[in-house]
This record gives sequence, structure tokens and C-alpha cells, in this order.
Amino acid sequence: MNLKNIIVFLVVLTMVSCNNKTEDSGKLSIVTTTTMLTDLVKNIGGDLIEVQGLMGAGVDPHLYKASEGDVAKLANADVIFYNGLHLEGKLVDVFEKMGSSKNTVSLGAVLPKEELIGSEYFASNYDPHVWFNISFFKQFANTVRIELSKVDPSNAAAFKENEKQYLMALDALEASVNTKIETLPEEDRVLVTAHDAFNYFGKAYGFNVVGLQGLSTATEAGVQDVQRLSQFIIDNKVKAIFVESSVPRRTIEALQAAVLSKNHEVVIGGSLYSDALGSEGTVEGTYIGMFTYNVNTIVNALK
Amino acid sequence: MSNPQIEIQLIAVVVAVACAIPGVFLVLRKMSLISDAISHSILPGLVLGFFITQDLNSPLLIILAAFTGIITVVLVEWIQKTGLVKEDTAIGLVFPALFSVGVILIAKNANDVHLDVDAVLLGELAFAPFDRLMVSGMDVGPKSLWMMGLILVITVTLLLLFFKELKISTFDVGLSSALGFSPAILHYGLMSISSVTVVGAFEAVGAILVVALMIAPAATSYLLTSNLKKMLVLSVLFGVFSAITGYWVAHWLDASIAGSISTMLGLVFLIVYLFAPSKGLIAVVYRQKQQQIEVSLLTFLLHLNNHTEENERHLNHLREHINWQKIKAKSVVDLAVRNNLIVINNQVVSLTEKGNDFTSIALDYIITNKDEKIEHLKDDFFLFRG
Repeated sequence: MNLKNIIVFLVVLTMVSCNNKTEDSGKLSIVTTTTMLTDLVKNIGGDLIEVQGLMGAGVDPHLYKASEGDVAKLANADVIFYNGLHLEGKLVDVFEKMGSSKNTVSLGAVLPKEELIGSEYFASNYDPHVWFNISFFKQFANTVRIELSKVDPSNAAAFKENEKQYLMALDALEASVNTKIETLPEEDRVLVTAHDAFNYFGKAYGFNVVGLQGLSTATEAGVQDVQRLSQFIIDNKVKAIFVESSVPRRTIEALQAAVLSKNHEVVIGGSLYSDALGSEGTVEGTYIGMFTYNVNTIVNALK
Repeated sequence: MSNPQIEIQLIAVVVAVACAIPGVFLVLRKMSLISDAISHSILPGLVLGFFITQDLNSPLLIILAAFTGIITVVLVEWIQKTGLVKEDTAIGLVFPALFSVGVILIAKNANDVHLDVDAVLLGELAFAPFDRLMVSGMDVGPKSLWMMGLILVITVTLLLLFFKELKISTFDVGLSSALGFSPAILHYGLMSISSVTVVGAFEAVGAILVVALMIAPAATSYLLTSNLKKMLVLSVLFGVFSAITGYWVAHWLDASIAGSISTMLGLVFLIVYLFAPSKGLIAVVYRQKQQQIEVSLLTFLLHLNNHTEENERHLNHLREHINWQKIKAKSVVDLAVRNNLIVINNQVVSLTEKGNDFTSIALDYIITNKDEKIEHLKDDFFLFRG
């Protein structure tokens, strides 16, 4: 009798909840993971597409947890863009498995492997923080345009035009970043942050990048890491160290305390955007604004 | 409701039922912690599987994980059999040991691979519908639904085949071996099923939810019944109810599905804990109050029995003499009047015939140290409760 009850219960519940339909605007529905990709796809697609980012501002992609609303977003998506290179953790596996039934695009996968920075711990893995190299981000833009044109050929010309505009904006960004960084003497280009997110940035602009934690924010910094790094800061006369918006301040403050205890001065130069952009609607909520803000913060603090 | 939403609820329901059944036996055998223990002790199985296949996605990893789960159970049983430590201590000894074997194996040989329980096994219910099972190019549904469905069918079949044996061996080990069932074989069989269920469910829905689905429904239904059949049915119902309502809570709050289902399980337990008819908190408090008043009533009757002089039986005097507060005195006197144990004439209380009989029999029981018989006395005299 109870099995019957369960079945009746289930059927009733299912029928009750069957009538909430999602409305269809006729536009392409695109899902992205990180805020950087959301911003990029919005720039290429403009008003012609509907973009939904899974991760909000300040969310750490390594530690992202899915909510119920994400199911519908993923299920209704025409294309899913993700960073890949293990940035989104277990989610990357999910997207790879979904690849058979859905159009999922790993943007990191389009970059030539030899230009990526290999991880010293994970043999076949690469540093996933590729968006800190503007030329990589340009390749992302190109891939997004191609993929969007594939699913919506009627708007291909508009996507092409948007891409052109956006690439020009990225060129302008590159130029302004270069001039800003030129003002910083090469020997002062040492970037100490909470985790290893800025290796591509350092490689592109000649910074010596040191992260307190490893690549993944899931690991914790040990006492030895703090001691070693504080000695490094003293030896290299580093003026400022940086916190990150998506990583707790605690670890960097511990590092600062360790340096101060050895009678040396180091300031916290500000908060950098690493794995996520700023809040939507602010200047730092776009890739270009975020990059400009980061460079200004770094250069001003280290000068 | 879209397809993935239906599929998620189906998976949640199947996992809930598959977990609730072994969960009942685990709770009854005081081994509920074993599900949590297995979530850690499977690590060496995963690591060995990886060493053999060099592939994080190989099914061998899951098979070996389930096997390590069974080893956990065997070791726990073995340590507990020595009689030197209790069940929970044995569990606490075994799983950290196995887990650390896994950690050492990783540190020694596989430090450059992202290998941990989280990366290989722990599923996320929200993404379960996107991992499809393909049979000769045809999409037949989510992989985890098929896997958990298979585990559920095996569990239910074994439960139906061995229900009597399981029941006896759970409640009376001595009797069951006297009747010729081997309690050990049944125990290991049950634990193996639990282990396979736990590992399979981890892959489908994640660790916390599995532990919650195993223990909470069984613990909740144990508050309501001690009949094994009813307990199984109720556990399944509670599990299914929490799975579906939890899903809709997650939908409504746009929150984690596993978290919402676990919260529902906790809420259901809390409600039953408060309102269960005999074991519930409110019922227990009510019963204690009742007993207090009954003890007072007995004291009062004995007092009347002892004193024939009128001034000792005057209503005002009673309050002073037995040192009761007004309200309590009134409720005791009222109870006595309602049960026709006393009559009140001009503020003087006297025992009725029924009151006299009741008191003298009760007194006999107290003198002969058979206090527990007073409880039956109340039924014999058709007394109202407080």
C-alpha cells in the first residue's frame, strides 16, 4: 500500500510542477563559467544573444558549488563556454561529458600548448589563468565569434563587427598597459600575491611572480611557505604585496606580519582581481576595466 | 518542468530509497557511522585503481573503492569482535588508518596528479543529468540513474529474499545462529551492499547527502515505530519526501540541491523528534508531568489514609501540611474528585470507598516493594489520567 502512496505522491507532485515553462526569447542562449568569459561573450554577442554566467563576481572558480538554477541554465544553453585547463575543477569533467549532447567549448583548449605555462606539480596540466595574457584573450574572442556564427549564421556579420570593435579595444588596452608598466623600473617588477594566478601576466610584462599558495586556492599555505616568502620579500626589497578579491585576505596579512616581525616594511598594495571580475556595472566588472585597475594598482604600489 | 529537473528528482528519489534500506539496518545495529567512515576509507582503493589503470575515469577505481569499503566493514567487525572496544571506536580506528594509507600512497607516488576522493568520486546532483549513458549511440538516460537503479534493484531483491534472516540476526544474534542462519554472512552481505550503495551514491550525489540519506530517515522512523517492516517503509517515505521537497526548496532558493535535501531531512527529523506520539520530546515532557501529578495524588491519598482526625483533612491545612503550592494542590484534589477517590464536605476531605480500596492496595504494594504494580492498579480502578 505504501509503494502505491509513494507513486501517487510522486505523480501528483510531478504534475503540479509541470506547468512552469521557461519562456523563449528566440535569442541564442549562452552559458559561461567565469565572469571574464561572461564579459567577453557579451561583447561579441551584444544584444543578439542571452548570456548567463554561472559564477558571480568574487566567486572562486576552483571552489564553485552548483545551485539548482544552474541546471536549467545548462539545460537550455545553445553553447556553453568554459575556461577549461582544470580551472573549473570537477565542472570541466562535466562539460567534457556533456560534449556528446551539447555544444560545449573549452576556450583554454584552443591556445597552443607550447605557449602555456606547465605546472610543476601536475605533469600534463597547465596553469589555467590564461586570461592575464591579452593576446590569449584575443584568441578567446576569435573562438567565441566563430562558435557563435556557427550556431547563428544569420548574425555572423554582426558578430564579426563586434569582434572587430572588441579587438580594437583590447589593442588599446594593451598599449595603455605597456606604457603604464614602462614607468616601473625592471628591477622593481616583483609581484607577490595570495595564489599563483599571475604567471602569464608576469611572463608578458617581465614580472617575477611569487604566489603564497599554489595554483589551486583549495590548498593552504604552510608556515614554511610564509617564512620562505617573507625572507624573499626582504632580500628583494619588495615594497608591496597584494591580496586578491576571490581569496581570503588572511594569508597575505600573515605574510605581512611575518615580514614586519623581521623589522622590515612591506605594505599591502591593494586588492587585485584574479579569478573573478568586480561587481557587474562597475568599471572593474569588465575585463578591460579589471586589467587596467590591476595594472594601475600594481604599478602605483611598487613605484 | 524540464527534463533535467525530472531526472534530478528521479535520481534523488532512487538514491534516497537505495540509502534508506541499508540505513535502517545500520541504525538498528548502531553502525550508522559506517557510511561516513566508508567515504574516507575508499581512498586507498581509488589510488590503487589509478596505479593499475593510470586513468582517473576508469570504472576499476569505483570497483576497488567499493572493495575497500567492504574491507573497512570487515576490519571494523573484526576489531569489535575482540570485545575490547565498542562499535564506534572500532569504526574510528579503521577509517583513519585506511585513509592515511591512501594519503601516503599519493604523497609517495602520485603527487603530480589531482587525485583525491573529491576529484574522482564526489558527484554533484545538479550535473548528474548531463552525464548520459549511451547504448549503441542511443541516449538512454543519465548514467547515475542507471547505476543507482541497478544498486536499488539488487538491494530490494536481497531484502525480500533474506528479510526474515536479516530481521532475526539484527535483533537476536544468538537465536539466528541457533536457527542455522549465519549471522556473520548476513552481516557481511548487508555491509557489502551498504558499501556498494555508498560508493555508487557518492558518485551520483556527493558525500554529505549520502550520509544524511542513510542515517536521517532511519533515525526518524525509529522514533515512530520499532516494527522493522514499518520502519523500512517509513524510512523510504521520509527519504523520498525529503528528496523531492528538498529539490523544490533548492529550486525556490536557487541553492545547492544536496544542501537543501539534507536540510529537509534534518527538519523532518526535528518535527518527528518534537511531535512523535510516544518517543517525541513533547510526549515525553507531557508524560513526565502526568507522572509527577500521579505521584502527588498517591501521596495525598496516603496522607488521608493516615489521618482520621478532621483538622488534618481540612483543605486549607493540606496545603500547609504537604507543602504544596495552590495550583498543584488544586489540580491534585480535582483529579482525586474526578476519579471518585475522595469527597469534600465543608472543606473537609475524606476518602470514598473506592479511594480506601485503592490506597490500601497501593500501600500493600509499597510495603512489599512491588512499586511497579501500582501502574496496573490505575487500569484496574479505571482511573483518569492527570
